[in-house]
This record gives sequence, C-alpha cells and structure tokens, in this order.
Amino acid sequence: MKKLLLLLALVASPAFADDVLHLFNWNNAVSPETIKRFEARCKCTVKESYFGSMEEALAKLTGGAQGFDVIGPSNYGIPPLAKQGLLQPLDKKKLPNFKHLDPAFTDTALDRGNTYSVPYDFTVTLVGYNANRLKALGINAASWAVVFDPKVLAKIKGKVTVLDDPREVIAAALRYNGHSANSTDPAHLSQAVATIRAARPYWAAFNSQSYIKELTLGNIWVALGYSNDLYQAKLDAEAAKRPFTIGYSLQREGNGMTADSFVIHKRAPRPDLAHRFIDFMLEGKNAAEITNNIGAGNPNVAARPFIAKSLLAIPVINPDHVTASRLEQLSDLDAATRRAWNRAWTEIKMGR
Amino acid sequence: MKSKSLAKWLISGPPLLYLVLFFAIPSLIMAFAAFRFPGDYGGLLPLTAANPDTGATELLINFGNWRDFLTLENFQRFFEEPIYFELFVKSFWYAGLTTVICIVLAYPLAWLIARSPKKTRDLLVLLVILPFWSNFLIRVYAWMIILGPQSYFSRSLNYLLGLVGIEPVSLLFSQFAVIVGLVYVHLPFMVLPLYANLEKHDMALLDAAQDLGANAWQRFWKVTWPLSLPGVWAGTALVFIPALGMFAIPDLLGGTNSMMIGNLIKQQYLDSRDWPFGSVLSIMLTLTVLLLAALAGWAGSRGKDKR
Amino acid sequence: MKKVSSWVWGAASLVYAFLYLPLAIVVVFSFNDSALNAEWVGFTFKWYQMLLHDDVMLEAALHTLLIGLVTCVVSTVLGTLAGFAMYKWRLRLLPALVLTPIAIPEILMGVSLLIFFVMLNMTLGLVSITLSHIAFCIGFVAIVVRSRLQGMDESLVEAARDLGAGPVTAFRAITLPLIMPGIIAGALMAFTLSIDDFVISFFTAGVGSNTLPLEIYSRVKVPMKLNPEVNAISSLLMLLTLSLILIVSKVAPSALRSE
Repeated sequence: MKKLLLLLALVASPAFADDVLHLFNWNNAVSPETIKRFEARCKCTVKESYFGSMEEALAKLTGGAQGFDVIGPSNYGIPPLAKQGLLQPLDKKKLPNFKHLDPAFTDTALDRGNTYSVPYDFTVTLVGYNANRLKALGINAASWAVVFDPKVLAKIKGKVTVLDDPREVIAAALRYNGHSANSTDPAHLSQAVATIRAARPYWAAFNSQSYIKELTLGNIWVALGYSNDLYQAKLDAEAAKRPFTIGYSLQREGNGMTADSFVIHKRAPRPDLAHRFIDFMLEGKNAAEITNNIGAGNPNVAARPFIAKSLLAIPVINPDHVTASRLEQLSDLDAATRRAWNRAWTEIKMGR
Repeated sequence: MKSKSLAKWLISGPPLLYLVLFFAIPSLIMAFAAFRFPGDYGGLLPLTAANPDTGATELLINFGNWRDFLTLENFQRFFEEPIYFELFVKSFWYAGLTTVICIVLAYPLAWLIARSPKKTRDLLVLLVILPFWSNFLIRVYAWMIILGPQSYFSRSLNYLLGLVGIEPVSLLFSQFAVIVGLVYVHLPFMVLPLYANLEKHDMALLDAAQDLGANAWQRFWKVTWPLSLPGVWAGTALVFIPALGMFAIPDLLGGTNSMMIGNLIKQQYLDSRDWPFGSVLSIMLTLTVLLLAALAGWAGSRGKDKR
Repeated sequence: MKKVSSWVWGAASLVYAFLYLPLAIVVVFSFNDSALNAEWVGFTFKWYQMLLHDDVMLEAALHTLLIGLVTCVVSTVLGTLAGFAMYKWRLRLLPALVLTPIAIPEILMGVSLLIFFVMLNMTLGLVSITLSHIAFCIGFVAIVVRSRLQGMDESLVEAARDLGAGPVTAFRAITLPLIMPGIIAGALMAFTLSIDDFVISFFTAGVGSNTLPLEIYSRVKVPMKLNPEVNAISSLLMLLTLSLILIVSKVAPSALRSE
C-alpha cells in the first residue's frame, strides 16, 4: 500500500529532478541502453514522448505543443518546423562530434549548412517480398514493375500492399516513370496517378501499420514499405521459423530515401542538455546502436566499426556509391503541390 | 416560478459551462479556420506577427486587406467537387448499416440482461463492456487474425463456399471487414442505452398482452419495441454518429476503396496539412449530423406530444 | 418474473461470443511463446515478466487508469445533470452542445483543444488530457440518462413532493434510484472511451504524460515490441478494472445496485 501511495505521489507531482531532458521521437529509435548511458554521463534524467507518424507530430508541434528539448523528425519535417520558427539554430561549437557525419548526408536541400539538424539514421522506401513465392512465380523485385505493372501484378493479385502515404507512393510511381521523386510538374503527377490507377485493382490495401506482420504471416507477398520495417519483418519471420524467407531490395529505377535528424525546439527548456545529448548520439558507438537496434542506415562514419557485420552486408543499410547515387532524399513539397497530390490521392482511395 | 428557473440554472449550468469552456470555445477557433488560408508550412496563415523592432505581437489583418486572410474558397471547393458529396453518402451508408446491425445484435443481449435476476444483472452489463477495456488497436489486430486468410474461420468459410462451387473469398482488407470492425467497436454503445431502457419496462404489460391472446411477435412489436424507442434512439445516436467519423477501422481493415469521411478529414490535417479544408469538412459533417438530429427530434415530438 | 425465452438466450449467447472472440485471442496470445501472434507455439509467462520490468508501460497504464477514473466520475455527474435538464426543460443550447462533441471529428477536437490550452498558457499533461476527455464523455452519459428518463412515471415524484419532500430529497429518494441503470451505463461508457482514446490524448498530452494508447500506438512501428507484451497489459488491465469494480460494489453495494 505504501508503495502504491508513493507511486501515486510520484505521478501526481511533477518530477523534482532539476536536470531533465525531454525527448520527442519515434519509439525505439534510441535504445533504452543508450539512454541509460547518457543519463549516467550527464547525471540527468531523460523523459521520452513518442510519435508513430511524422505528420501527427508536425500537427502537434504546429498547434503549439511545448516542453520538448530534442525532437527527432524525418528530414522533410525540418523545413515546416524551421519556417514556423519552432527550431533553434544549433551551436556547432558544442557539437565536436559533428565531424563524424558522412558528407553525403550533411548540408542537404532540406537544411542547408545543417543550421538546425543533425542526421542520425536513414530509411529507404522499397519493395519487401516473400522470396519463396516470388521465386516460384518467376517475379523479380528489382524493378518497381512488381508494384505498378498490371502484367506482373496479375500473378499476385490481392497479395500486394502499399504504404498509406501519398508522398511515398506517388514518389515511387514517379521514379517508375523515370522522373524525380520530388517532381512538382503536373504532367508528371498525372502520369504517376495513371500508373497507380492501373495498378490499384491488384492491390489488397493501403497499409502503413500492419504490413510487416501480414508479410511475416504470409498473407501478403509484396509490400511497398520502409527498409527498417522490412528488416524487422525478415527477422520476425526467421525468429518464428516461418517456412519462407522475407527479402527486400532496391529498385533499379531508384528509391526515395528519408533521413531522420535531431533538432532542438525553439523554446527548449534545456538547450545545454539538448546539445550534450546530440553530441553524445554522434559518438560512433551510440550512433551505431540505432542501426543495430532498428536496421536503419547510418550517416555516421565513426559508427561503422560498431555496426554488426551482418547489417553492413545489406546494401540498403550500407549502400555503395552506385547504389547511393540512386537514392533520392524526399523533399518537403510546397503547399500547392501538396494540395494537388492530396486531391489525386483522395480520388485514388475512392476507387476512381 | 423564481425557484424553478433557479433550479434550471443550477442543474443545466455546470454541464453547460463546462462544455462552453472546454468544447465550444476551442472548437470555434478551429471552425473559424475554415475561412482562413493554410500556412505555407502547415497550420494556418498567421493573422498576427511579432514586430521585428519591438517584439510586440501585431495584428496583420485590417479593413483594407482582409481578403488576403479570409476566404470562402474552402467551402467553394467542397461544393464544386462531387467526390466529397459521394464520400459523405458512402460514409452515411456504412454508418447506417453499422447502426442497423448493432440494433439487431444488441436487442436480444439487452433484453436478456434486463430480464435477468438483479444479482447477475450488473455482472452481465459489465461483461458487455469488459472486452473494451483492452486496447482498441489490439482488438482490431485480433480481428485481423480472425479474418486473415489463414484463420480457421476464413478457411472453413472458403471450404463451405467451395462445396457450393463459389470462388474463395478474401475477408481481410474488404468492405465486409470494415463493417465487422465498425459493428464490433460500437456494439456496447447500443447495448448499454438499450439495456437502460428495457430494464424499466413493466412486465405486467406483456402479461396482459399475452392474456389478450397476443403471440410473442405481436407482444414484441406492439408493446416492447414502441416502449424501447427512446433507448433505440439513444443507441443510434451513440453508434451512428461516431461511426460516421471513424478512420482507424477503414485504415486497418479496409481494402483499396474503403475510405470514409473520417479518413479524408484526417488526411487534411496530416498528410496534406490543409487545416482550413479539414475544418470545412468537419463543419459540414457536424452540421449534417445536427440537422439529422433536429429532424429526428422534430419527427419524434410530432409523433406524440412530449411527456 | 417471466422467463426469458430460449431463443433470446441463444441469440444473446452468440452476441457474447462475438464480443469475446477477439478478446480470447488477446488473452491466449499473452501466454504464447512467440513474438509473432500467428499460431500457438507454447506456454510462457515471459511477456508478463517483461511487463513487470517495463516501467514506461506500467506508468502509462497508471496514467490511463487515473485519467479514466476522474473522467468517469466528473463526466457522469455533469452528464447526469445535463440529461436531467434536457428531459425536464425544453432547452436549445444544451442539447446541441451535448451532441456536437460526439459528432465532431476527434482530430479537429484534439487540435482545437491543443491550441486552446496553449493560448491559456497551460502546461500540457494529465490535467489537460483529463479535461479533454470529460468534454467528449459528457454527451454519452447525458444521452443515455435522458433516454432512461423518457416515459418515466412522474407520479412517484409528485407523490413524494405531496408528502412534503423537498425537490432535492425527492430527486435523491425517487428519481436517482430510478435512473441508476442509465447512470451506470453512462459511467461505463465514459470510462471505456477515456481509457481507449488515442487521437485527443495525443494532441493534449504533454511531456512525460504518456497514456497506454499513446504508448501502444507508438510501438506499432516496432512490431517486436508491440504484440505479446501489449496483450499482457491488456489482459491485466481488464482483470484490474474488473476487480476494482467488484471490490467497490462489495464495499458500497447500495450506491451501485440498481433500485
């Protein structure tokens, strides 16, 4: 009973500890072990809040939610946050480990000069599949045709899901048609929409949440999804001793890529701790844990020696130069293009 | 007379005050957003800005330039595109079907509970709601297992269909799955109001009807059903209206054309960051519901004089 | 009392089965020795053990219960008042205000409340979540209570008044016991809505005020962390709330028993 009362008292009153860092991030991106080591180093407490969708987090921050020090958005979320005045410029003097970053991931169009952000991982949007099924059917997943070409899809009708995300699916269709995933040309958009319309009858669902599981269960055979999710599906299938293997591979037309970064909120209560945390996460060992933990790619060169060998062998996680050149970072669209994409997406989802 | 109006204020005052403060005022802020422009980077085009010299907040909008800040364009867009109307019709159809199925399923359950001995009655009520204290997502995931192609349910159904020579069907990711999900998550909100109503029925009426030679069906249709209408209406309000705005069930269980109005609204606030249009859709949805409720109330009060 | 006919029994049992079918899967898989909830592998307690060490999840569960209980009590009181007022007098504003929170898309309500709390300079947290939950639960209680009152026999109340009972006494002695089943039904719905809410909680939550749905939804992206442990906490939460209610009803039987 005493314990319960104590617990209640703890919940009811705000934490008394002076040094608390508030983190708003994807769940599990930073592993609990890493957090514990940071707490030991800074003699502070880390309180985490999570989001499961970038757009939800953006809406919440746009609405004025405060109290967070470090936020871990996807890079396309940085321009909206920065332009709304919700971020504070980083003090690079406090980030000596910034030099560990691969130049390919710094100074990108989404944040020139890394004024606000430090990348910590990247994921690729690609095709995951049931290797045994595709082999039996003689289908190769090396092209986006496996998701968009009705002739190929006819053999796997009702066994395909794509992300429930206009940004990702339209970007993939744009690449399939030979355009940039960031194209704002209306002609390119209508071409992509026509591709999606032709393919839609063969798809089972628009699914961003449970496709990992459906793939692992064998209910679907092909999924347009994220590399870290599909890595998870592969592990799950192995752990559960499924009678098939899950594979995932890049498409030769090129894939969309999204990095995630740490940023500091404009009104962060503890910018000092925030900088310390970001610099801590730039240390090779700590940075590597993100990749080891969720199977995402890593922009940190110093992390390489600490990443599991089996993971480094996967091209999606550790792309060579040719592969890397086919990855295109998704930009944040302007309001007019977003509106046009949204209309097209509504019609697609209405079955038009 | 004075004490009567005092009582009226004492009783209706607290909930009224609470709802005005924590519902009406906040919602009006967002309802007003329907007349504004979206911000270039999400949210709304700001009406105020900090003065770079003084740092004080200044109003940007004035009598000369209000057209740059306020617009009817968002409403225009709603009325010009037939697709939004179609989506409304489709959502009403889904929600209506869900409500009817809920009534059919809830009635025997509510009746059984209401007619049980007092001792077991509370327990039976509790049993209706108990499954809903697990997590929403977890329940829906459980349904995904049940409806999945490898479940016993799906396999035996397809075996039976095969016997009569019908092609196997896929249950998950279909409109069928959406309806099952909608019915499941809303069922207790039909059972409970219905039970609260049926519990007070006077059994002597049914006995009298039986003595007069009415059969079971007549007793139900002539006595029980009309008396239970307030409960049915309450349950309908609590099932139909939330089902209308649902987005999680079509997201998780639906196929490639199971979109409902709730999904569209969510898409405006999230993916396309078009808050003004999201507000327009919300306003239209809310007004339609209130209009329907007013019509139902009017029809009800015309049907028989109140009290 | 008349016996319930056997076909009603049959139909009702089928509906109970429908309600419990997915739940059975949740409970059974909380003991399944496989991270992937596909088929039965073997019996294990490990998810429960894991849960006992998962402070984040336990704290979230505690938050959820606290918010749920406060929401339940406050919205039941306010909702009962509203339902009674709507039955007694022809009001205009209140019925609309009771119905609108049910009709309005929850995402709009979540964003609105967030902006509102920010404008008030209020720190987001358990309090802001609870205030928001109460706002959307009042309507559910009010609608059930009003429907219970409709067609009620007023003669008892009048008789009590004739015998010299004041309006408050008459309400406590006659009306309240009569509408108790409606109040209980409303309270159960309010509690259920509160502990299961994601959207409005997401927007009105502050730093370190995670609730169970928030925690579970954020794990959707981390499937290995999602299922079995969540099944375990779901099962435990049901057990806990059930025992809470049974204890309360034993301790205070007169307050809960109908009539």
